[in-house]
Amino acid sequence: MRLLLVEDNVALADELCAGLQQLGYAVDWLADGRDAAYQGAVEPYDLIILDLGLPGLSGLEVLAQWRAAAISTPVLILTARSTWSERIDGLKAGADDYLTKPFHQEELYLRVQALLRRSHGFANQNHLQAAGLGLDEARQIVHSQGQEIELTGAEFRLLRYFMLHQGQILSKSHLAEHLYDGETERDSNVLEVHVNHLRRKLGRTVIETHRGQGYRFTGAGVQP
Amino acid sequence: MKHSIQRQLTFSLAMLLVVVGLVLAQAGLWIVDRGLRQHMQDNLQTQAESLLAALIKGPDGIELNSRHHDAVFLKPFSGHYFIIEFNQQRWRSRSLWDFELPEVQAMGFSEQLRPGPEQQQLLIYQGQYRRYKTDIKVTVAHDYSPVLISFQQAQIIGGGLGILALLLTLLLQWRLVRRALQPLEQARVQIEQLQLGQRSQLEQDAPVELQPLVQQVNRLLLHTEDTLQRSRKGLGNLGHALKTPLAVLMSLLRREELQKQPELLALIQEQLQQIEQRIQRELTRARLSGDALPGAFFECGQELPGLFQLMNRVHGDVLTLSWQAAANLRLPYERDDILEMLGNLLDNACKWADSRVELGIEQVGTDYCVRVDDDGPGIEESQRQQVQKRGSRLDEQSAGHGLGLGIVRDIVETLGGTLQLLDSPLGGLRVEIQLPARL
Repeated sequence: MRLLLVEDNVALADELCAGLQQLGYAVDWLADGRDAAYQGAVEPYDLIILDLGLPGLSGLEVLAQWRAAAISTPVLILTARSTWSERIDGLKAGADDYLTKPFHQEELYLRVQALLRRSHGFANQNHLQAAGLGLDEARQIVHSQGQEIELTGAEFRLLRYFMLHQGQILSKSHLAEHLYDGETERDSNVLEVHVNHLRRKLGRTVIETHRGQGYRFTGAGVQP
Repeated sequence: MKHSIQRQLTFSLAMLLVVVGLVLAQAGLWIVDRGLRQHMQDNLQTQAESLLAALIKGPDGIELNSRHHDAVFLKPFSGHYFIIEFNQQRWRSRSLWDFELPEVQAMGFSEQLRPGPEQQQLLIYQGQYRRYKTDIKVTVAHDYSPVLISFQQAQIIGGGLGILALLLTLLLQWRLVRRALQPLEQARVQIEQLQLGQRSQLEQDAPVELQPLVQQVNRLLLHTEDTLQRSRKGLGNLGHALKTPLAVLMSLLRREELQKQPELLALIQEQLQQIEQRIQRELTRARLSGDALPGAFFECGQELPGLFQLMNRVHGDVLTLSWQAAANLRLPYERDDILEMLGNLLDNACKWADSRVELGIEQVGTDYCVRVDDDGPGIEESQRQQVQKRGSRLDEQSAGHGLGLGIVRDIVETLGGTLQLLDSPLGGLRVEIQLPARL
């Protein structure tokens, strides 16, 4: 999952970047509204956390530009503007969720998880569940048929992405784009290694290889 | 009764017309009366002199030539009378019949009317002449009462006509004034609409006399709105400036160094929370417009769907939220104030509800009634007082329903309404708010 954080307060952005990365998200950080308007439109983010009081271009205008350009990436507004009329205005501009400052980081992370699940059609779920697997995002553990299976950070990130895109064929470059932030070097061999680790832990047929196209998470034949 | 230009104009005109009318009518009558009496006087004198001329010297001394005097003196109580006196002789006209003319001392024309027979009012002229070497006193009387009666008739007819004319004039004047005051009336109606939130500006096309007033009112409205927006923006910026550092501090609490010191951590956390709540409440209170903007209104049908969409985003997974209000219902209050009130009310209800939250807004007479019901645990009777208490301190009510309702209570107080905590038919708490019509 690759997120864009647009926040002009450096100290807060540092804390949030660190926290989000700990949870296995690839995070890009921008502080200027104009940069955000551009980068949010060209990079394939899975979710955007947007502050409203930005230098250059206000958050609401940035959001309006994205929505006008038919970019449907889920946007969570993170702002000190806490009145209900401002929240409704944010929603009308196309925001998917609204969190007011100050906030507890856990609250933000829960909202991010919920929003990601919702945007992929997993409404009304407190935990991500797909193909008989249940993912505990806080502990980075997967439940399979009553058993807990530990995952490394990279495996967790990969599995979460697969589970949210069950049944879709995902190319290696697509996966790399969504699992690493803009500054990490993308090595497709590393991806292959992680896919193989997941197969070893969950079952060989859980992830199909489509030659020349990519991988497909089916969830079939899950085994402990 | 309040002062009204229309009433005052009508009243003063009526008084003026009555006074002038009465004076004119009385003066007219007096002039006519005077002229008539003068004329009668001349007549009487002529009559006296012609009677004198009718006296002829006959064989038995002086006698009255009956051919020379009018037949009116023969008919009893005809209204024309004479008495001729000389040398102890006294001739009375036949018309006097058995009536004795009242005694008049002074010679000439007597100013006063004297009572005559059959309620007649007599004008009397008395002349002293000398003819045929004899002193002759001729008294002539004439009945003036027909004239008086016609005067009375004239007074009655004139009075009636006068009253009619007065009513007609007043009616015309009332219509004229009404027409002239029409723009004022329009302005009054518009200001009323302004108060009711049915319009936000006064019409510009007022007559010249009212232009400055209308322009000034409109400018004041714009100015107030502008000031309000600016102060809100300023407060928003202040909130931003304070809350972002607070957010940083709160995320710093997750640092390992602090996690090792739980006491310190708890203390800082508590203080930060207090700062946050205080900022939140004071900023909300400061942002309220109250009744600063008379033209503002909240359109239920337009605003509630957005609000509920937002509420559903946050609580929709677990709760069923619904609202009921007439589609065209308008609350005469500022949009942000009402949204803030409803948002906090609903948010509070959602925190406690098990499965359902319902909002109802309706107009009751001139007032507006807002109800929020939830099916949560509700609040104990004894604790309701605590939550409702005026000015109870924030830190005393940071738990439970307190904070959310505290903000709601601030708003309701600013809007001049009342807040009540009741049992909900859904099983939980019902918050009922009465908002008065603004006038």
